[in-house]
Amino acid sequence: MSLADSTSDGNAPFANHLSRTVTRWNALDRGWQAVLLGLFVTAIVNVGFQIPW
Amino acid sequence: MAFRDYLPGLAALLAVGLLARALSIYVVPLNHLVLAIVLGLLIGNLVPIPDWLRPGLGTYKLLLEAGIVLMGARIALGEVVSNGAVLIASVLIVVSVGVLLVELLSRGVFGIAPKLSSLLAAGSGICGVSAVVAVAGSIKANEDQIAYAVATILLFDAITIFAYPWIGGLLSLPDQVFGMWAGLSMFSTGPVTAAGFAYSDAAGQWAVLTKVTRNVLIGAVAIGYSLYYAHRSVDGTTGSSDGWSEHLARLWDNFPKFVIGFVLVMVLASTGILGGEAVASLQNGYKWLFLFAFVGLGIQIKVAEMRSTGARPIAAVTLGLVTISSLTLGALTVLL
Repeated sequence: MSLADSTSDGNAPFANHLSRTVTRWNALDRGWQAVLLGLFVTAIVNVGFQIPW
Repeated sequence: MAFRDYLPGLAALLAVGLLARALSIYVVPLNHLVLAIVLGLLIGNLVPIPDWLRPGLGTYKLLLEAGIVLMGARIALGEVVSNGAVLIASVLIVVSVGVLLVELLSRGVFGIAPKLSSLLAAGSGICGVSAVVAVAGSIKANEDQIAYAVATILLFDAITIFAYPWIGGLLSLPDQVFGMWAGLSMFSTGPVTAAGFAYSDAAGQWAVLTKVTRNVLIGAVAIGYSLYYAHRSVDGTTGSSDGWSEHLARLWDNFPKFVIGFVLVMVLASTGILGGEAVASLQNGYKWLFLFAFVGLGIQIKVAEMRSTGARPIAAVTLGLVTISSLTLGALTVLL
């Protein structure tokens, strides 16, 4: 979706994008969701984000 | 379903998980994971769960599997390779003997119908409820048989989650022996992870490594049952008569995909790409994920639903579990 699709509500393109992302995420097998979530956390801790215990 | 639909249930998992951790530090000298399961169990059985909490509470399996992916960072690839032959041989032997034993006991000794026997054998031999559902699809089991088998497996999950760490403590089992014992002989992945980490971190890592190796066999066993039932008229119906392409598709469908992430993170950590601080953070990450997941695991254990299990399935699975568990523990104690 381009900026031209934007309506008077400036958040509409972002909201639509988020909605599509959630739809795609829900369509994934739970195992793949776990892989993506795990790799995302691995990536952010590897650039310096720390998780305390 | 929108993301916001998951938020209330997720917040509930987080809140009860944090409460379990606080209680374990300041009030009750019990492992935080055990407390998380107990609190979840109490809530799930004493408080009516509103519908708006259910989507978020249902994410506990995702949190558990994501935690296992992160746990790959703490598993040394070299150790897996050096123990690989023992691990794979143990898994193949225990799964084969376990499935056959429960089949024989159910059909031959307790006179349970063939398809229900197969569901009980798959559930106790491979990976609990997931295996029951996978095999049910390939042998065209009916809803009643599935519900009966699932209730029986969940009953044993609920008992073994507390019994294994207790027995392990009584026998002062070394971490690797306890972890492999739980991973080889308990049923579902969640309870295996909970029992392992309730015993110790090292035992938890061994338990999960052994259990994911066992889970990989789920597709092969589902296909084996599909072939077995294909040309037999059992309970008035035949099983699937699919071709090889359908069998391969089923093999992939049933493959636990989170194992791929677990192996990827293990390889990444072993190559040194992840620094020491990153690995420590990932360890903390999976400890949090397990804590929240085990609250959900406790909530879904419904004591009332377990009353629907019958005496014969319970007797067959008990005999199978006690036999496999004793033999496995004896063999591991001698071998390791």
